[in-house]
Amino acid sequence: MNPTIMRLTARALLGRRRVLLLLPMPIVLIGLTLLGVASEDEYVTAGDWGPLVFGNLGLAVILPLTALIVGSSALGLEIDDGTITHLLTKPLPRGEIILSKLTVAWLVTTAATAVPLAVAALIAGSGALAVGMVVGAAVGSLAYSALFLALSVMSKRPVAVGLVYIVLWENLLVSFVDGARVFSIRQHAGALADAIGDTPLVDSSLTVLTAVLMAAAFATLGTYAATRRLRSFALTGEAN
Amino acid sequence: MSEPGVIHDIGYQRYAGPRLGPGYSARSLYVHSLRGAYGLGRSPWAKVLPIGLLGLASIAALILVIVNSQLPAPVIDYVGIASTFTFAATVFVAVVAPELVSVDLRTKLLQLYLSRPLSRSAYALTKVAALATATFLLFAIPMLVMFIGMAFGTDTGIGGVFDELGGLLLGLLAAVVHAALLAALGLPIASLSGRRVFATGMIIGVFLLTAPISAILRELDPGALGALAGLLDPTSLLNGVDTWLFGSDIALGAIDGYGPVYGAVTLALIALGTACAVWRYRGIDS
Repeated sequence: MNPTIMRLTARALLGRRRVLLLLPMPIVLIGLTLLGVASEDEYVTAGDWGPLVFGNLGLAVILPLTALIVGSSALGLEIDDGTITHLLTKPLPRGEIILSKLTVAWLVTTAATAVPLAVAALIAGSGALAVGMVVGAAVGSLAYSALFLALSVMSKRPVAVGLVYIVLWENLLVSFVDGARVFSIRQHAGALADAIGDTPLVDSSLTVLTAVLMAAAFATLGTYAATRRLRSFALTGEAN
Repeated sequence: MSEPGVIHDIGYQRYAGPRLGPGYSARSLYVHSLRGAYGLGRSPWAKVLPIGLLGLASIAALILVIVNSQLPAPVIDYVGIASTFTFAATVFVAVVAPELVSVDLRTKLLQLYLSRPLSRSAYALTKVAALATATFLLFAIPMLVMFIGMAFGTDTGIGGVFDELGGLLLGLLAAVVHAALLAALGLPIASLSGRRVFATGMIIGVFLLTAPISAILRELDPGALGALAGLLDPTSLLNGVDTWLFGSDIALGAIDGYGPVYGAVTLALIALGTACAVWRYRGIDS
């Protein structure tokens, strides 16, 4: 890993106004958790609103969306701007470039998702769930970041492809075809959070072993594919 | 020595022919944007996603025709297509809207457009119209596929075909409402950023983030607040309009007697979104 690349990537991701884009999501999450806790009574239980807030909002929207924006812009911005040329002319192993980019993307995504999710879990009154959310979000962030980083090297339109994966695969297909959840990172994160948290606030039907193995497979394959693709990366004229 | 600042006439030719004017520019931009939305006239990679989504929607419509023809009553009618495909249409808008406006901002192509007779507000309105038309096609083509399938499969002769035609027209009307709202929301958001990454992220953020909010509010309060919660989320809002205007039975949540409110909010959002797009381009440097 290369500290210079990491520092420059972190600055490109966080240095400008665009970091504010990540702010509304935690606010909505924590606001809805407060609302859910406040309106709990004999009709509305934690099992009613919990899965909606932590599952459908936290792990299904906030985690993948943050990872998509961060993961695909870690290297994607350099390709867009053409500064990738400078990076590629340096005598650095391609794996080192990818690993540095991936580490920064992973740390930023984890910080932007695990912290609000843990705070929301604490508000909901479950310390175990807070730990589960941090672990689930960290593992999910790693797998998502590797996937979207690989997409940004392989495709000219990584965000569009990533979006199709998130919306059509993880949200639409998984609700119809049950087996597809094995290949859905959101389900891996949910399984880990459920196993550690053990509350009615989240529900998951995947075993922990499957989740860990599949998330590791996503992360490894993503990193490997990105490295391989970057080795034979061709600078083309069409910028848009 | 000649005086400074004098341009000598060395035989410049004047153009005396007809000038095509702003209307022509707007029409050309509209056609160009509509083609660009589906990647026509661009690289094959630009076609994959929009055409792929359209193809998926058409295949889904074909499957529905087969399912409908096997069952006594159709499971999903034409308005149902508009309702259920809204989710895919939001992805389409999030992918296509940045293609239409962000690239112009980033490559400074916008300044070239504005140096023509085309006015700023005409540019914005044309782009909204092109996006709305492209989204409309995403609904309309699967409906046509369904109509052709159902018209051939009808067993009540020409009367059955006319029944299907009536349903198709109703469905197309619903598609117009859906396309107008999605375009009026997506385009101004896309025009905020010259980077497709962030433009797409912001649009899908608005669509994806609002859906669980209204679902949670609906869960927490079964009363009036729950019935009005659908207003917060474009997908539920359009679903409510379908339920109210076209009697669609695929409801995401109860709208009780608030149908007119859903209709009014939809109209207001379309107007507001379009106005925002025009306003966004008013102050832009040229």
